Amino acid sequence: MATLAHPAGGDTPRRPNFASADIQLPAVRDYEQVNEEITAVLRPTKAWFLGLFVAIGALGLGVGSWAYQIHQGLGVAGYSPPVMWGVYIISFVFWVGIGHAGTLISAILYLFRAGFRTTIYRAAEAMTVFAVMTAGLFPIIHIGRPWKFFWLIPYPNWRLIWPNFKSPLVWDVFAITTYLTISATFLFVGLIPDIAVLRDREKNPLRKQILALLSFGWRNSEREWRHFARAYLFLAAFSTPLVLSVHSVVSFDFAMAVVPGWHTTIFAPYFVAGAIFSGFAMVWTIVIPMRKWFGVKHYVTLNHLDASAKMVLFTSLVVGCAYLVEFFIAWYGGVAYEQEYFWNRVFGQWWWAAWIMLTCNMILPLSLFSQKLRRNPTWLFILSLFINLGMWFERFVIVVPSLSHDVNPWQWSGYTVTWVDMGILIGSFGWFFMWFLLFVKQLPIIAITEIKEIIPPKLKHAPAAHATGGH
Amino acid sequence: MMRGMLGVFQELDSTVEAIEELKKEKIGDLTVYTPTPRHELEHAVHPPRSKVRLFTLIGGLAGVMFGYWIAIWASEYWPLVVGGKAISTWVPYTIFGFEVMVMVGALSTVFGMFYLQGIPRLTMTVGYDERFSNGSYGVWCECAPEKLALAEAILKRHGAVEVRGES
Repeated sequence: MATLAHPAGGDTPRRPNFASADIQLPAVRDYEQVNEEITAVLRPTKAWFLGLFVAIGALGLGVGSWAYQIHQGLGVAGYSPPVMWGVYIISFVFWVGIGHAGTLISAILYLFRAGFRTTIYRAAEAMTVFAVMTAGLFPIIHIGRPWKFFWLIPYPNWRLIWPNFKSPLVWDVFAITTYLTISATFLFVGLIPDIAVLRDREKNPLRKQILALLSFGWRNSEREWRHFARAYLFLAAFSTPLVLSVHSVVSFDFAMAVVPGWHTTIFAPYFVAGAIFSGFAMVWTIVIPMRKWFGVKHYVTLNHLDASAKMVLFTSLVVGCAYLVEFFIAWYGGVAYEQEYFWNRVFGQWWWAAWIMLTCNMILPLSLFSQKLRRNPTWLFILSLFINLGMWFERFVIVVPSLSHDVNPWQWSGYTVTWVDMGILIGSFGWFFMWFLLFVKQLPIIAITEIKEIIPPKLKHAPAAHATGGH
Repeated sequence: MMRGMLGVFQELDSTVEAIEELKKEKIGDLTVYTPTPRHELEHAVHPPRSKVRLFTLIGGLAGVMFGYWIAIWASEYWPLVVGGKAISTWVPYTIFGFEVMVMVGALSTVFGMFYLQGIPRLTMTVGYDERFSNGSYGVWCECAPEKLALAEAILKRHGAVEVRGES
């Protein structure tokens, strides 16, 4: 359901208010144009085939690396005691974080009536589902014997053994499973009216039959819309605390352990803010090229990018504040282990990783205070790549320095990433982009029916002030 | 036998006027089609409030109870003393209560939505036109045979670009 804070009217605001987000699409005239232009995006191009080929190639590298690891054992993965969490757990947290922007945009910004979400939320929702699918692979890869992963699921079994419900790892299983289920449900429910649009335009009988099944026979009746709107609202209401809970639970994987740098109460909000920050960056990485290549700049306008840039700037400031508070607490708390750890993080063994993190996540996003840069898609795209890099290194800085430099100096060590780690990491990007690229050519990447909600309807009589804007 | 009359409209206000007159004349049951939800149509149809909320409530309550129950029951069945804590500790088990509440509550909401909408629908039945998912509005008036002519006249008078009877 589209969100518009109050009825539209007048010219497009050049500086949209973030809270009311009264964002218009002046270049979109009527419903027929929306159908034509958004379904035109579905036609495959050479560039799309090339992108898919590269993604499948990267996935092949990942699958090969994983097969090698299964054959040889976890020893090929670069773990060296006491650093027994590495690239896989870092990537797990990274991908769960990426998955946060989708539901934030679909649910939280929907409840807050932030109109700029309307044109980007479908891409963000699809991104969420595929990112969480990617994240879910990493704990399975990390355990070394992937065929045993189902032991984490509580079910009646002949071993008469149940998981330890006091373990954060089991909390993770419940949180991630719920998040994947609800994100996929949210995405699919929103897609049903758009699949009906595709069904009614389709000429090929077989495809029409498949689309008719997928649309469940949706007919656009007032009765269907009424229950749809109510259900959508409740799904958004459920998803809002879910977004906050999932990365909080992921942060508990660390915060529940008595390890320097991890055992802190700031972790839950710090992780949630970081997840939203990185998720928005990935939305830019996907949406900015898409709006150019698919010719949808008049849907995803500079106003939308400007509003999302303010969100990124805000979450960057929250994340930056959390970084500084960590240092302050280590100094003010007076615990020698914490002080030693944080000194080592920034000026010692891991200085390079920490400074990549600080530069990409704290310093470069400050450029978004400039409106000129907020409205420059090229800069936003470049910045998004830096933020993606910085947020991966944030998780590296959380995982590796703590384990390699804990309370016992006799076991301080290093950590070296192997080619198997890198192969699986690259493979995860291939897996993610393969699903995303397949999605964009099968189903509408911009929500057709929600765009129609913000387009003024055709009227027989002179338009009244209340007649524009659906909500 | 003819079951009703379908009118296809281009304009929103024409559709609203046709609905209002058809309701005033009490000709029959109306089904209104729109490419996107519009409050104007909702006000004209004046439907009852959606009962989806009941499914949400029941699903949410069932989920939260199951989430707590599975954690408590499994802990008592397979007692592991961890960190000197009680076998069943409600604070961490709130995570299970919450997550399962969200999962079951959301899924039952979607189930309720489908149930109340009457979908999945295997056939498109009568009274539908593919233009309704494009840019046109529609009014399907299901009525007794003797009222079909009046329904047709009302639909045409309010500017329907096409009016047809369906059986």
